Amino acid sequence: MNRRDWLVASAAVTGCALALGLQQRKYSRDLRPKRSRVAILHTDQYSDKLDELVYDGLRLFDLDVRGKSVLLKPNIVEYIHGKPVNTDTHLVGAAAEAFLRLDAASVTVGEGPGHHRDTDLLLYETGLADQLSQRKIPFVDLNRDDLVKTKLKANYSGLGHLWFPQTVLASDFIVSMPKVKTHHWTGVTLSMKNMFGTVPGARYGWPKNVLHWAGIHESILDICATVRPHFVIADAIVAMEGDGPLNGTPRSLKKVLLADDPAAADANLARLMGLDPIHVAHIREAGLFLGNIAVERNLNLN
Amino acid sequence: MGLLNDLQAEIGRRKLSTGGWAGGNGRRASIETTCYALMALRDDQRPAREEGVDLLLRTQHPDGSWPAFEGDDPEGCWTTSLAAIALRFVHAPSTHDERAPRWLLHSKARESHWFWKWKFRTADRAVQFNPDKYGWPWFPGTVSWVIPTAFSLIALKQSFPCCRTGKVSDRLQLGIEMLQDRVCPGGGWNAGNGIVLGSALKPHIDTTAIALLALTGDAYAAARQSLSWLRRAFLECSSAYSLAWSAIAFVVHHDPDLDRCMAVLHRVLSSKISVSNIETLSLAAIAIHAAEGHANPFRVVI
Repeated sequence: MNRRDWLVASAAVTGCALALGLQQRKYSRDLRPKRSRVAILHTDQYSDKLDELVYDGLRLFDLDVRGKSVLLKPNIVEYIHGKPVNTDTHLVGAAAEAFLRLDAASVTVGEGPGHHRDTDLLLYETGLADQLSQRKIPFVDLNRDDLVKTKLKANYSGLGHLWFPQTVLASDFIVSMPKVKTHHWTGVTLSMKNMFGTVPGARYGWPKNVLHWAGIHESILDICATVRPHFVIADAIVAMEGDGPLNGTPRSLKKVLLADDPAAADANLARLMGLDPIHVAHIREAGLFLGNIAVERNLNLN
Repeated sequence: MGLLNDLQAEIGRRKLSTGGWAGGNGRRASIETTCYALMALRDDQRPAREEGVDLLLRTQHPDGSWPAFEGDDPEGCWTTSLAAIALRFVHAPSTHDERAPRWLLHSKARESHWFWKWKFRTADRAVQFNPDKYGWPWFPGTVSWVIPTAFSLIALKQSFPCCRTGKVSDRLQLGIEMLQDRVCPGGGWNAGNGIVLGSALKPHIDTTAIALLALTGDAYAAARQSLSWLRRAFLECSSAYSLAWSAIAFVVHHDPDLDRCMAVLHRVLSSKISVSNIETLSLAAIAIHAAEGHANPFRVVI
């Protein structure tokens, strides 16, 4: 073989390797149910009436949470007066109450804020501390929990493993409760992006910059493949559009979305916001293995 | 003295049987939490202190760095600066171990590399900052953030109180310039940058106070402006954690608002000792002790 042959052969081998790499599946299991159930509930405001709305909504799904430990994961980021940044506390309280009425053994609220190290202050400013205290619901700061090294069940980010909070891994039933918002890096931040908050700041910093460098869409997919939320209760009563997730403008959608599939939830929420979910990389890819994003594979319960 | 004694007793009670203290709700020794607790204990709480020092010494990596918690991956991170500060403060036998400062001097944020500098200067201008001015990351492979930069500056200044080589002086200068570059438009610091996509970010009380600890000894415009911001912000604050950091910063800057801040801290904390985490209890103890004119672990003596 002369030098030219070597070059051609090397290029061919490299090309084949690249093609194989691109075609290689980055997930090991197809987690999609045959059909995903979604309920879009209408309400105009945040109030105690959410208790009945959420309870009645959950009953449509006939969920079996009896005796289970339920973890509610709201989106608590930053308190900015007048900006709909965080999952509303009434909705979090209503969800906690509803799961207890459905005979859950325990309901815990957990969050690991991305930029804010003073979680107590954030809970106070947002009103979540009061809401949980009135209802006697415990809160766990996921940024400072005990951690378990966990192999990721998908390989989009290349991280291989992440340390997750014990509270998340030990929960029988995880409920992602996003605030419906646009996001300047990922297009939208919905139930799957909300799971970033399960990654502990104590191990990855404030913010969890390791995930940004590994790719935000990629990290979302790996996290959700590993700690896939069992259910979604999304706050789309007042959403955020424009320069989200912090500085956008309020948009009244007057909806609470419930779903038993995070990918289906996010696809429906994107449509509610007037966006095509196919244009959001992590939702599009999640449709291949995490859940059903096609309308025809969703069953609307209301 | 009563509150300080109560805090120190509570910290002593919550020591792990294996030495050190757990973060938040955890049961595994956290390096950050252990550092604060060590700084907070009285001299007569020697057994707990010695076990805490042992924990730090046995978790130190051969390269001089520290992990985030006992049992973590063998990779150093931002806690290295805190551990160096804590060991120096308690006069541990390893005080003169040069491995930690050497590791800090070698640790560089990602934007220190010419490629990322170029990218942030040309193609990626969404987050406005000067990549020539870099500090320290939370974890290797990521960009500079305010808190790890501030702690690294303090640790290096304490490790090299005089006769600094050019390399040490240059690194300190870069870190100081990074903090000045990332200040929010009205003073104070958010987690990293002051402006993202043209929008000013809201400063955080704890981050601002910690950054101020690193900007002493000289007349920094950013420090003056941020002290003014902090004087207003703490009055509205209900979190003992943020108030304690504010008080420690006021002590270091000989600020006349220290007394008012301490009064608020006492009021907030007195009813919350049993429910506060070790980080908060320890920082409050450090603040009270320092405000009474005793040693302050974050003080830099040149």
